[in-house]
Amino acid sequence: MSEKLSPLKIEYGEEIDGLTVARQPAPAGVASFSATYVGPAGWGFDPVAEGGTARVANHLLTSGAGRYDRRGLARVLDRAGATLTTECAPESAEVTIWGPAADWKKLLGLLADVVLKPRFASEDLVRVLRQVSERQLRELSQPASRADRELLRATYPEGHPYRSSGLGDARSVARLTPEKIRRFHRGHYTSGDAVLVVTSSAHLPAVEAAARHLFSSFAERRSPKLYLPPVRPRSARTLKVALPGRSQVEIRIGGDSIPRSDPEYAAAFLANEVLGGRAQLSRLFQRVRERGGLVYHASSELEAMRFGGYWAVGAGTGSERWKKVVPLLAKELEQMRLRDVAPSELRQVRESAIGEIPLALESTSDAHELAVDVTYQRLPGDYLFGWPAELRAVRPRDVRAAVDRAMDPRHAVTVLAGPLSGS
Amino acid sequence: MSRSGVHRPKLRSLTLANGLRVLLAPDPTSPTVSVWVWYRVGSKNEWPGITGASHWVEHMLFEGSPRYAKGEIDRAVLKVGGELNAFTDTDFTAYFTTVPRDHLSVPLNIEADRMTRAAISDEEVARERTVIHSEREGNENWPEFRVEEELFQLAFRVHPYRWDALGRRRDIEQMTAEQLREYYRRFYGPKNAVLVVVGGFDPRTTETEVRRRFSKLPPWGDNVEVPDIEPPAAGERRSTLHGPGTTPYLQVGWRSPALTDPATPATLVLDTILGGESRVFSAGMGWRGRREHPTARLYRALVDKGLAVRATSGWNPRFYPSLFTVQAQAAPGVSLDRLERALDRVIERLSRDGPTSKEMSEVRTRIRRGAALAYEGATTTGFRLGYFATLRSVTLEDELYRSLLRVSSRAVRAQAQAIFRTDSRVVVRYEPTGEVGDE
Repeated sequence: MSEKLSPLKIEYGEEIDGLTVARQPAPAGVASFSATYVGPAGWGFDPVAEGGTARVANHLLTSGAGRYDRRGLARVLDRAGATLTTECAPESAEVTIWGPAADWKKLLGLLADVVLKPRFASEDLVRVLRQVSERQLRELSQPASRADRELLRATYPEGHPYRSSGLGDARSVARLTPEKIRRFHRGHYTSGDAVLVVTSSAHLPAVEAAARHLFSSFAERRSPKLYLPPVRPRSARTLKVALPGRSQVEIRIGGDSIPRSDPEYAAAFLANEVLGGRAQLSRLFQRVRERGGLVYHASSELEAMRFGGYWAVGAGTGSERWKKVVPLLAKELEQMRLRDVAPSELRQVRESAIGEIPLALESTSDAHELAVDVTYQRLPGDYLFGWPAELRAVRPRDVRAAVDRAMDPRHAVTVLAGPLSGS
Repeated sequence: MSRSGVHRPKLRSLTLANGLRVLLAPDPTSPTVSVWVWYRVGSKNEWPGITGASHWVEHMLFEGSPRYAKGEIDRAVLKVGGELNAFTDTDFTAYFTTVPRDHLSVPLNIEADRMTRAAISDEEVARERTVIHSEREGNENWPEFRVEEELFQLAFRVHPYRWDALGRRRDIEQMTAEQLREYYRRFYGPKNAVLVVVGGFDPRTTETEVRRRFSKLPPWGDNVEVPDIEPPAAGERRSTLHGPGTTPYLQVGWRSPALTDPATPATLVLDTILGGESRVFSAGMGWRGRREHPTARLYRALVDKGLAVRATSGWNPRFYPSLFTVQAQAAPGVSLDRLERALDRVIERLSRDGPTSKEMSEVRTRIRRGAALAYEGATTTGFRLGYFATLRSVTLEDELYRSLLRVSSRAVRAQAQAIFRTDSRVVVRYEPTGEVGDE
């Protein structure tokens, strides 16, 4: 196993002013390279009454940097055969560049420009704010995103970073100016508490040297601290959002959960896989779709982040069928809490999770995604080598105990959003 | 590695006596193997009353066969850490399984078994009916789906491209298990399929294993021509839909050439210049990826000018003449009339003046760069090989690549003038009703 997975071993370099540099070898035979900066710039850091700041700042990074305006940047990427993508989450924000391996130094330089010298031009901010306004409307009117939104709002108290989707509202984004975005950028796209992950056939010293040369001019070194207000467990409750004119009701059941660093994470991971995370092997897929024929999608997720986490069961069904589906989902959750998973079921799900690791070695992008996760979570470089043993050590009773802590249905919020006939 | 050209892996290509085309692309460095089966059957082969049959059969091929009881196909793949899925299009249906390289026999056994012997029982068809309904309902939640469905329904009156691959609601309610079995028996089988195996395997052993499993299958599977020829459109067609949503949305379609038309490369370039996506040779994202293209004409004229929050074009080569589309989501406060006028100006200008030499040069660069990194990973490779082989042959990719680089600005302008005619235009508007829901 370990030899086959050797390209997944991550090497950590020396920090550059607090910036962790990590390098993962590119999978054999690939011709591409990828690099990601992850910084403490998620929407959990949005200034008070200025919701949307982090997402707008992150989105604007692709709208011009250094000597390139937005079109100039797009052209230089096209000429290089490269792509630049951004992603924002509650705790962090990231920027990733992907392109030909032969040009890795040039592309890393472009990433440095985007992270360190974004332009934040007024006209780009106006355009992005128009797009954000439309997304805010979409979040309210689309059953799936509305259900996600209401679940998090009902789970977390005011001021909690996981409470929102980071889009803000009409008033909060109207307050944003280029100067406010620049200020946020200076304070949160820092070297402190940030990571630079490179998946490349170049060796670590070369990556370190390039990173030192390109990423040494951060305005701030400090590490902003994320504040997570306590989440008081409440009894289970149901929220209904009527969205007439839609065809399908989206169902979510979920609540607060554990961070990735929790000692029970491996057991909670397997609990989620058994319930609905392991696609067609999971109970939700087997019992609600395959046996019941009631839904097209039924799954669960455990979003274990660095500082906290949440879990959610999701399904979509017709305007009448939700009345049958909700009790079925609730029953499956309750079974997870009350009964040990059969050893054979646990073994099957666990070996599936372990067996899929080589699939991440198909491409630079797949391998890189794992490396970014491991590095961001501050896990050891050989973490993926020990992961199978960690999973194999989990017993059925550990899974049940983890459900109590990480996916407890007794404190869950149930949300229904869509055409709720007869509710 | 050179910076241009199609970097396709070496192939062993063979055709079995029963008609099955087999492509083997070994890559000793790959930790996985990906097995794809492409059938030249899609919604183009359906008729009113059984619309959505191809998609429904796609679902049923996961529901059991002589060797695999219900649920066992999924379990066999997932328990070794693999992934599997399938999709149905107008022109084809594709099934794929990717597994760690030691488990190649798992997908080969599955595909050989379900190629001619899927169960499709009455009981499973009845149960799957609600699942299919649910899938369609999930799509209907999106105004974009409703608009596109309306657009093709308005544009085509005879040809099967007029319905979506998911099928019409009424047909999903009424189709019988026997109709699905007949459909399966007619169109599925080695004669109408392409098997692609890519990744870490020994080619000689694998060829033997493929022959052992697939040679004995009966030579079934019709690849039939669609007899219905859509007559030329006589005048513009329009429709307006109302429903919940965000901001007004607009989609316009024009009749476009078939894959075999000599104008296909110029049409692909037209799509890249208008929408920015270089489709079959797109760097990093595959041609289904969506991202912003600030240098594309629609983006510059509509998004940069504050009229839209999204604007792009879409065209994929198909077996029969289809639609070239452009779509735009209005910015808050912008009316569809204003948006449509601006869109018309973009189209008129491109038809009148053609692309600039700078645009043509940028398109060529992107095609070269996209092609250089198009094959990475067994799954992506299996998709590309199967896609081109199903449309015609794997060498179609080289021909498209070469001809795309040779297309002149004049040819693109001529193609814009040929396509963007108001008398063959179809316009569908979506006016949101504005509700955002009560808690």
